[in-house]
Amino acid sequence: MVAFLDISVVAVGAFLAMCMFSTLYGKSNPLYALAEESYIGFATGLTIVWNVLYIWQTGIVNMMNGDWVLILSVILGIMILFRIHPKYGYVARLPIALVVGAQLGLSLRTIIFTGFIQQISSVIAPLFTGSAQTLLYNWTIAICVIFMLTFFFYTVEMEGALGMSARFGEYLLYMAFGASFAMTFMGRLSMFVGFMQSYTIPDWKTPYLLGSMILVLALIVWMDKTGLREKLTPEE
Amino acid sequence: MVQEAESKMAKSNGGILKWMAEYDRRYVYLVLFLVVIIPLLRPIGMAVSVSPDTQQYYNVLNTVKPGDKVFFTLNTEYSGFNELHSGIVASLRVLVEHQAKICFAVGHVEATIIPDLIIKEVKSEMDANGYQYGRDYVILGYVMPNEPAVAGMAMDFHAIVTQDSLGRSIQGTFLDDVHTWQDWDFISDFSTGLSTTYLQNHFALRGTTMIVNCIGVSVPSEKPYLNSGLIKGLLQSMKGGAELEYLIGHPGVGLTSMDAFTFGHYMLIVFIIIGNIGYLGYVRKTQTEARGG
Repeated sequence: MVAFLDISVVAVGAFLAMCMFSTLYGKSNPLYALAEESYIGFATGLTIVWNVLYIWQTGIVNMMNGDWVLILSVILGIMILFRIHPKYGYVARLPIALVVGAQLGLSLRTIIFTGFIQQISSVIAPLFTGSAQTLLYNWTIAICVIFMLTFFFYTVEMEGALGMSARFGEYLLYMAFGASFAMTFMGRLSMFVGFMQSYTIPDWKTPYLLGSMILVLALIVWMDKTGLREKLTPEE
Repeated sequence: MVQEAESKMAKSNGGILKWMAEYDRRYVYLVLFLVVIIPLLRPIGMAVSVSPDTQQYYNVLNTVKPGDKVFFTLNTEYSGFNELHSGIVASLRVLVEHQAKICFAVGHVEATIIPDLIIKEVKSEMDANGYQYGRDYVILGYVMPNEPAVAGMAMDFHAIVTQDSLGRSIQGTFLDDVHTWQDWDFISDFSTGLSTTYLQNHFALRGTTMIVNCIGVSVPSEKPYLNSGLIKGLLQSMKGGAELEYLIGHPGVGLTSMDAFTFGHYMLIVFIIIGNIGYLGYVRKTQTEARGG
């Protein structure tokens, strides 16, 4: 026996999700506006609650336990809120500068290794030792890196061998972008399949999903035909 | 007669080609809905092959020893969870079977519910291995929203984290033995791209073994870190999760979704072919004619 609460969650969730998908109808509609505003409202509320909780757990509780240095971070946090005041907005600049500076300092110290030195060293691979497959991989990487790098030589005229190399590098870049697009599609499809799956497993959820799909589609078509769609859709 | 027939044929070809070039995009969405939902309701059970990356991920996951301290980080929004679900549960199953000590942490407020959901799914395995809260696993909740927090955890864990997700002190748990990055044996990260870079920068770079299960969109940006050896394993999207389920011999949401996933890709290929035929046969031809070619 499925609990009433579970049924309610699935029914409301499926309906609001289908309202969200109603944007695919190609015309703005009140059901999409309802789902969108609901999501923004809930997500903002949730974020605020969890952030306040985070400040409480990591800041206030530790301060009460005697870690008074944390009061400085609370003061800096309050200073950021001055941003909304037209006259004292400048007060927010100090904590923002500190945050950006700390973030950049921490990133630069490490990204120079992870994003630069390690990436270059991983491209430098043996070209004359190893199995046939390894050699094929390594030669492909080496040649492709050279071709693609030549594409970015903007200070010399692209003629002859250099021009051909740059052209070939350009095609290689297109192939990389194509692969990237394919992965993006795979990711989006996975998300969609995962969503549909969460509303079809276990079996008792399926009628709520199918019902919501039919209901939302019927409502939009009906509102579109009767002119209610334009009338009820809030202005952006 | 012949000319009339040729003209008729040309018109009809133009009609189909024009439709192929300009059909209403809503047909794509409708077909996608059908192509995904029908195999989910009536699965066929298509074969799954294991990619080298998943095999590598599985091999690294299997190096975890009993008592190893694992930082199980969920850097995902709830939407991304649907895609990573199979990989998260399958990875957790392996870690539990290896009797690792697991610390769950999340990098997004929407993910705070996920540890409870996945623990519910592997409850039988956790019970069978005698898992106890505090001694064997801890749920920290939302703790790593930015780089300074992650960097701080790498240098002095207890300066950043003092409580679990329910506000209870973490003192007296297995985390008493964790102070710096060196005390972690393993990081298993599940990511839509939030704090993963920070974990790579402040833990993996220093030498903590780290594996990542990321969404499909992030694969091209994560792959260089795998190739350069910074991360030791990369599980790609839901497909990777399904392959891992196959490897551990425990079918779950990943394997059951592979029919819909495969048909979705077939659909894309068909629409790409239709679009290209329409472009070459109608749009390009029309443009050439307009230029007087």
